[in-house]
Amino acid sequence: MSVVVDDDLWSAVGDPTRRRMLDLLLSQGSGTATSLSEHLPVTRQAVAKHLVVLDRVGLVHATIAGREKHFRVDQSQLARAVAQLADVGAAWDSRLRRIKRIAETIQLAKDTNYETGNKH
Amino acid sequence: MEFGTIEREIHIDASPEVVFDVVSRPEHLREWWPDEAEFRAEPGGAGRIGFGDPAQGRTWVQVVVVDAVPPRLFSFRWTHEEGESAAAGNSLLVVFELEPAGTGTRLRMTESGFRERGWDEAKVAAEYAEHAASWEFYLPRLSAYAARLGAGA
Repeated sequence: MSVVVDDDLWSAVGDPTRRRMLDLLLSQGSGTATSLSEHLPVTRQAVAKHLVVLDRVGLVHATIAGREKHFRVDQSQLARAVAQLADVGAAWDSRLRRIKRIAETIQLAKDTNYETGNKH
Repeated sequence: MEFGTIEREIHIDASPEVVFDVVSRPEHLREWWPDEAEFRAEPGGAGRIGFGDPAQGRTWVQVVVVDAVPPRLFSFRWTHEEGESAAAGNSLLVVFELEPAGTGTRLRMTESGFRERGWDEAKVAAEYAEHAASWEFYLPRLSAYAARLGAGA
């Protein structure tokens, strides 16, 4: 089993400011670099750069309205990012299968030793 | 699935005491997850787990034991930076809860902190998992291990 992780998508949502931006966009429906920067401890320019990263991996889409770009979250792309967490879950499934196998092997060895031990 | 938390539950045909040892002792951890494990299996026990071939440079990850209540509860935090004290927000928390079930054990595992810690760590965790995920890699180790146990080692 191999765990395939989309590097760009992961690093896009790996940044705390960008996650905060996604949260804001989700709760407000849409936002601009200016409106987002009002809720964040970073400049409008920094927010604009983060939006470029999010846009590049398809997590947000822009529409031009008036003088500014309005951004919305792409729900299906966000769902993809979340689904990758499921891959970590799959990794735990393998670890737990090994835990089970090791514990049961030890238990069996203990029970067997106990039985043969009685004969000594 | 709660966003940012992984939860699993399995039944194991072994006593809670045996399962507790397997999930908590470094020498057992090495058999089911990292390539190397160095920590004390007691509350506050800090140490590290290593992944990868030492010849190609082993990657070390910090670990600290949070709770160790044999044979019911074992938890630890990992992925915090060396020198930082592990807490919510800078590490992932893994909790094992054990309950007797018939002659065996019900083992419940949760890993949380992905949301707070950020997605980079989930990616890192998945990458580490990949080293260990292959049975081709694990089966020879496990059979050798079982043979040692069978020999009464």
